[in-house]
Amino acid sequence: MDEKTSLKFQLISAWCGPAFLITFVVFWGVIGQNLPNPSPDLSATDLAARYIANLNDIRLGFIMSLIIIVFYMPWSALLAAQMARIEGKFPVMAYLQLLGGGLTVMVVSFSAFFWVTAAFRPERDPVLIQLLTDLGWLCIDLQYACTTLQMVAAAMVGLAERSKTPLFPRWACFLTIWCGLSFLPASLTGVLKTGPFAWDGMLSYYIPYFCWLCWFTVASLYMIKDVRRRMRESDAQGDTMAVTHGATA
Amino acid sequence: MSTTQVIPPPLARHLPGDRDVWIFIFAELLMFGAFFVAYLVHRQTSVDLYNASQQTLDRDLGVINTIFLITSSWLAVSAVASARANRSREIVSRLAGAITLALAFIVVKYFEYTTKFAEGINLTTNDFYMFYFALTMIHLAHVMAGTVILSVLLLNAKEEKYHRQNLSGLEAGTAYWHLVDLLWIFLFPLLYLLR
Repeated sequence: MDEKTSLKFQLISAWCGPAFLITFVVFWGVIGQNLPNPSPDLSATDLAARYIANLNDIRLGFIMSLIIIVFYMPWSALLAAQMARIEGKFPVMAYLQLLGGGLTVMVVSFSAFFWVTAAFRPERDPVLIQLLTDLGWLCIDLQYACTTLQMVAAAMVGLAERSKTPLFPRWACFLTIWCGLSFLPASLTGVLKTGPFAWDGMLSYYIPYFCWLCWFTVASLYMIKDVRRRMRESDAQGDTMAVTHGATA
Repeated sequence: MSTTQVIPPPLARHLPGDRDVWIFIFAELLMFGAFFVAYLVHRQTSVDLYNASQQTLDRDLGVINTIFLITSSWLAVSAVASARANRSREIVSRLAGAITLALAFIVVKYFEYTTKFAEGINLTTNDFYMFYFALTMIHLAHVMAGTVILSVLLLNAKEEKYHRQNLSGLEAGTAYWHLVDLLWIFLFPLLYLLR
């Protein structure tokens, strides 16, 4: 594959980031009725009624989310390639980041698929609908650690890079670590059904998810910048080649 | 003949440690600030319950832990001073002291928690206990992370890595430790004393 084509794929992968982000917020958050999300304290009957009242939106929101989530993959793959370039011969952190990115897709996917299943036969026993809803929320809220590792790996490589045009500025690396750690309170969603640490609470939902959004936006910005910089370098090299090889007396 | 005025060079602006680590520390402060606000807001809804439950906390252990952390922070600061004066063995002993006190803090917390669990009190007992366990456990995670950081500083100090010309790693690590201490200084009165 020639460099120009490779760079084109890289740029598309980078832009998968913002594209994923915006469409995911729309389908998972807005259409899927997750802003606000249902409280774990809701009775089974009330929860079932919520599904029935918003059936089409919930189905559309999460079925689409299951497709859109995969755009996290090319983005993670690009980040892995960029990290591998920095790491050199043994790109361990790049692999770790890639693993984390892939597993994040699975965690979010399973979560949404539980909710689609709940909405599949809304006339089911409400207790079963509650079970499926619980499965979805605990799946996504308790298994954040693979995302945290993905983020920390990227931050570590970003911090270790010594180049005139680093992939991530240092402040972005520390923001990444902090955002990754902001997920920790979400472990309490496995126990609490009310209060700020429940899965509809400020400290387990709104703050961590917002932090993840901030990190993802910042990282995407710098990844796009990096690809475009290398595209310009490649073009410049191409021009120099043309000048030295093109003109014949 | 010209008289040259001697203008003293401007005082060098030295931010101890690493600017980006300070940003991280500030972010952590904000996060805990959000926790504290959440506690205060929720407390308003059932002040009597919170006050009654608060009485069951062991205030003496809380005070002991506060003394442990403050002393530990002081030792960490002294270690930096030792580095600035190029007294490398002192750095090691002071960091070792700081780590010992950190471990002591963790042990006290272990006893506090197990006592409560033995009485059948845990995170789900009521709102106050939810905050007590959640906030102190999240803080404890930071104490453990800080202990790991101090240990890395200790290992580096043993290899004589820190001296007047190379302070920023030591300063950054100890700055994080001061954050952990500061958080407890807010947490202790908030949970154990505020009525």
